[in-house]
This record gives sequence, structure tokens and C-alpha cells, in this order.
Amino acid sequence: MSGKPIYVDFAGYTENVPASIPAAVQLATSRLAGGRAARVAELPEWEDLRQIASDIRSHTVEHIDAYLTKFEQNFTAAGGQIHFAATDKDACQIVTDIAKEHGVKTAVKSKSMATEEIGLNDALAKAGIQAIETDLGEYIIQLAGTGPSHILAPAVHLKKEEIADIFSDKLGVDAPPDPQQLTRIARETLRAKFLQADMGISGGNFLIAETGTLVMVTNEGNGRMVSTMPDLQVVVVGFDKIIPDWESLTIFLKLLARSATGQKMSTYTQFITGPRRSDDEGGPKEFHIVILDNGRSKILQDPIGRDVLKCIRCSACANNCPVYQNVGGFAYGWFISGPIGAIYTPQILDTQAARELPFASTLCGACGDVCPVKIPIPNILRHLRRRVAEGDEFAGTSMPASIRAAAGVTSFALSQAWLYRLGSKILPTVTSIVQPYPLSRWTKIRPLPAFSAKFRGWWKSRKDGTK
Amino acid sequence: MTNPVLENIRRSLGRTDRSPVGLRPAIYVPRQPKTVDAEISLFFAELEKLAGTGGRVAAAEIAAKLAALVETQEIRKATLWHTPLIEKLGIEKILRTLGVELIPENAPKAELALCDLGITEADYILPETGTLVLHASADMPRATSLLPRVHLALTTPDMLRPDLHQVFAEGKHNNYMVFISGPSRTADIELTTALGVHGPKDLHVWMVGYL
Repeated sequence: MSGKPIYVDFAGYTENVPASIPAAVQLATSRLAGGRAARVAELPEWEDLRQIASDIRSHTVEHIDAYLTKFEQNFTAAGGQIHFAATDKDACQIVTDIAKEHGVKTAVKSKSMATEEIGLNDALAKAGIQAIETDLGEYIIQLAGTGPSHILAPAVHLKKEEIADIFSDKLGVDAPPDPQQLTRIARETLRAKFLQADMGISGGNFLIAETGTLVMVTNEGNGRMVSTMPDLQVVVVGFDKIIPDWESLTIFLKLLARSATGQKMSTYTQFITGPRRSDDEGGPKEFHIVILDNGRSKILQDPIGRDVLKCIRCSACANNCPVYQNVGGFAYGWFISGPIGAIYTPQILDTQAARELPFASTLCGACGDVCPVKIPIPNILRHLRRRVAEGDEFAGTSMPASIRAAAGVTSFALSQAWLYRLGSKILPTVTSIVQPYPLSRWTKIRPLPAFSAKFRGWWKSRKDGTK
Repeated sequence: MTNPVLENIRRSLGRTDRSPVGLRPAIYVPRQPKTVDAEISLFFAELEKLAGTGGRVAAAEIAAKLAALVETQEIRKATLWHTPLIEKLGIEKILRTLGVELIPENAPKAELALCDLGITEADYILPETGTLVLHASADMPRATSLLPRVHLALTTPDMLRPDLHQVFAEGKHNNYMVFISGPSRTADIELTTALGVHGPKDLHVWMVGYL
């Protein structure tokens, strides 16, 4: 799951979801969603916090150029080196060049969606640089050679016995199927990698414009290792991670861990402003940030769709989504899955390549209800369905002519009172006799419900009755 | 110098580099602190929920507490920060008496990684989330709270802060700051919690001077 997909085949994937996926994903999502609900119930000010967070994110997205400029000034003043990458290829090139300049052979990585998005590991491998994932779940799936099934629990679809087999096979150690023992083996193996690595690569959770500070949130401590052990650190982040100031951060830190894992605060939150000030302090001597566009500026053109850039990547929408719970993360075809992926991927790729995703939802609204920054996900899904159906400035329509024609006829019939009345009289009789294609595809499997249009009659009788 | 990414953003938003930046929306009023005693109790209650341990310790008890820690955790090597509180409590001397080998705080990282215990001092304490806030400098390296398998943080009641607002207002100009809320943890294998995946497996916090 690296680099841009050409087409996201949601329907094709979901027809053959391995049985292990829904069971494992539901175990993870129910635990995470339950934890979130418990934390939310403790905070009477939750809805106020959400509203403020939403307002700050909207404000930031509208002025994002100004805040990025401010970040650039302050980060540079603190001794950091900043790079802007227009595309995924540019970003990979920048990171690879930095690595080559320093003669890097091994890099340790902390879980990062931005580096998944640009396919960085493949690019580094081509340049002869080994990138080792160090988040336990990511490390397991990297050894297994597969992709993540959940943002926060990437290896949740694997049983401890399977993980023990992977460790025995790939690391040549005696690995018992016990989570504590397996964690200890990973600690020892990765500890050696941290101490030897020439470069640390990570993502980031927030960029604070006010002081040019990177904020990084992790639970395992691998984020701290990656940003403390090697002398060279490179961070890749989408430009939407920018926030105005530390005061704003008070709100987001209260929302993020609670929404994501049901923790009040994640175990480790780091605030890093530039490289180390002295060798004895530890931390990187050279600190680079790559600010990624990769289609985000295109999203800004759409006043409705751009709200997706308010996202703080908590995954609460996925954890509460009935569709996601049944298909898992792989189905969404790219680095970002769940409802947020369904509104993000079509806008970054284009509405043709990911045309199935806006329809990969029941529009039940749970995602919008739990979003800590109040992204109106169901509205954006509907908006993108329209863009898929009617075509937009980036891609033509992808609806078959027959469906568009049928929608046109329905729309006309519903807008003409006389035609609607006529239809509601004759359709019950017609549909009980004739079931033409494509209706016949449906009725092969299940009976067509009796067509019934009783509202007008009911309304009339009710009106007469109350007079 | 033109920046194509910023130009694309401005074009999409219909802005120029001279467009005004409106005021950022106002922020929620921070949490009000309770009494010092209640705040300390809250902190330790939250810390315990996170699988951290500790409590209030009198300065006179430090030697006995350290001896117990060294014995139960089988501490052979330790590394510590140089702060006024740690010096005043004579931690270094006590550890030497207990036969613990002291590794200089600025030793090579491979050597620090072999330490069983790292001792630091929290700059702030956030009771509501059981959080320690640590800075870094030459005398207070980042690795001390990260590489050893046991982390002991000392603190005093005047380090309590009611909410993130105060911590950020005071701490935002440090080049490095880390929040620590409990020992290193993961649930990546079958959602079973395992401690000490990369950072310390044990976290102890001793609040000195308020009983």
C-alpha cells in the first residue's frame, strides 16, 4: 500500500474480504470507540471544545499560506531546514537526497501516514537505503510484507501465533505466542537498530506556526527514539498539519487522544523546536522538515470539500463506521481509510480514480457526530457523489448514461405535480406485472416490494378530518 | 524567492501574500486548580491508572526509598540529571553507597542504553492527565528518561500546573519539551497491553516535600 493507486477498487475488494478482517477490525474499533465514549462522557465541555477546534481549523485552512510562512520563518530561525514538496515524487527525492548526502545506510522510522502516502520506503529502497518501521504493529506488518489494516492498530488482523511465526521466521529467534514475550523480542531487536541508525524519519501531528515547533504524539516511545537517537532527522508532513499557536494546541491535545484511543493523553508528546542546542543534550544535529502538498492545494479550491483538511487524524470516524467495521482498512485502497479516506482520496487522486469511495457509506452520520473538529463528513460524501455523477473540473462523469437518464426522468417526474399523481396511480399496477431490466436484476434475488404511494391520500384525509 | 506550494495554495484560496490574517477564534477558559493536596492526590490517582507508581516522599526518606527501588528493580547501573533538587537530595551519593554504578549523563548512547535506571526532575506536573513535563539541556539529556528500563522522576508541589495553558505559556520557548504520561506502552498484538515496548517499562514519580 504505497504510492498513489491508479484505481481504488472498493467493490472488488469487498467481495472477497478475508474472514479474519471484520472480526479483528471490530475487536479494535469497538474497544477504541468504547474508550472514546467513556472519555467524552467525563468532560462536560466536550461539545464546546469540538466547536472551538472546528472554528480554529476552519480559520487555519482559510489562512493556511500565512501560517505556513510564519512557521517557515520561526522554524528556520531555530536552526531547522525546511523543504516544500509539490508532489509525492518531489518529497521522496528530497528525503533520498538528504540521506545520500549523509551517506545513510539505515533509517529508523516512526509510523507516519505522510510517508505511506508518498511511498517513501520504496523510494529509499531503490536508493539502497533500508527504512525500518519501529512502531510495533508497523514493524510486524513490514516483516510480514503486508499493509496496515487500521490506522492505530496496523497489525490487528494478525493473531499472536501468526506474529510468533513471523518473528521466528524473519528474526531467527525462538518466539512464543505471547504478546509480552513478543513485545520484549521487538524491543531488543529494534533497540539495536535505534542505536545504529544513521537517520530518523517520522511524521508529525501538528506544526505550531507561532514558534516553528513540531508536535509528535506516540505511545510506544518509538517516536522519541527516532527523534533522539540518530544525528539526522527528517520529518515529512502534509501542509494541513499547521496550527496557529500553542493556545490552539491546548484544545487539540484535549481532543486528540480521547477521540483516538480513549486515553486522556497519549504516553509521549514531544515538542521539538529545531535541532539540539548542545551535543550533551542529545537529539538530532540536523533537523529537516518536508512540507507536502501532493494534491492538497487542489482540494482547497472546493469550498465544501476543503473541510477534509481540518482532519487531525484521530480515526474516530473509522472506529464508529459500520462500513469500515465490516471491510477494514485495506478496502479503501490507500494510506487513509474509513470515512475520512472516503472523502480524502477522491479529492487527492481524482473523482474518477476513487469514484467508488463516496458511495462506500450508509450516510448514517456517525462519522460526523464523533469527529473532534466537526468535519461534516456525510455532507462531503453527498457533495462528492454529485461530483462523481456530474463530473467536475478534474475528471468527467463516471456514471453510465442509463443511470443518468433514469435520474433525469425521475427528477422531472418528481418536479411535475400532475406527472407524480399519474405515476402514483399507475405504477402499483405496472410494477406488479412488468419488471424490466435493470429491475429484473434485483427481482431475481428478492421480491420487489409492492409499490405504494399513499401519502397524498393520507394527507388529504387528515386535512379533511382536522377541518 | 517564490515557493510553488505556497503559490498554489494562494491561487486555490484566492489570496495573495498580502492578504490579511483574521483573528483566530477565542479559546476555552482553562481548568481551575483545586487545593494543592487535592491536586497531588489527583495526579497520583491518574498516574496509577496509567500503570505508573509513586507518591509523596519526605526528603529524609529518600535514602530508604532508593534502597528499596534498587533492590526490587535490580538496579546495577544508573544515570541521572544534574538539577538543584537532585543535588540537594544527595541522590548520587546514596546510589554510590548502594553499590550502583553511575554512568555519566552525557555518555555515548550505547552505554546509556545499558542503564537500568534513569533519574530526572519534572519541570511541570499536570494532575488531570497524570502527566510529567520534562525539558532538556546539556545537564538534562533527553535520553535519561528514555533509554533505561526504569525511569524515576522527582518533583515538588510548586511544579503543579492546573492546565495545558500554563505549561505552554511558561514552556513554549524551550527547544525541547516532552510530556510523559505513564510507562511506554503498546497494544499492537491482539490489543493486549504490553509495557516497556521502546521506552521505560517502569515509571516512578516521587513528590518531595509535601506530606
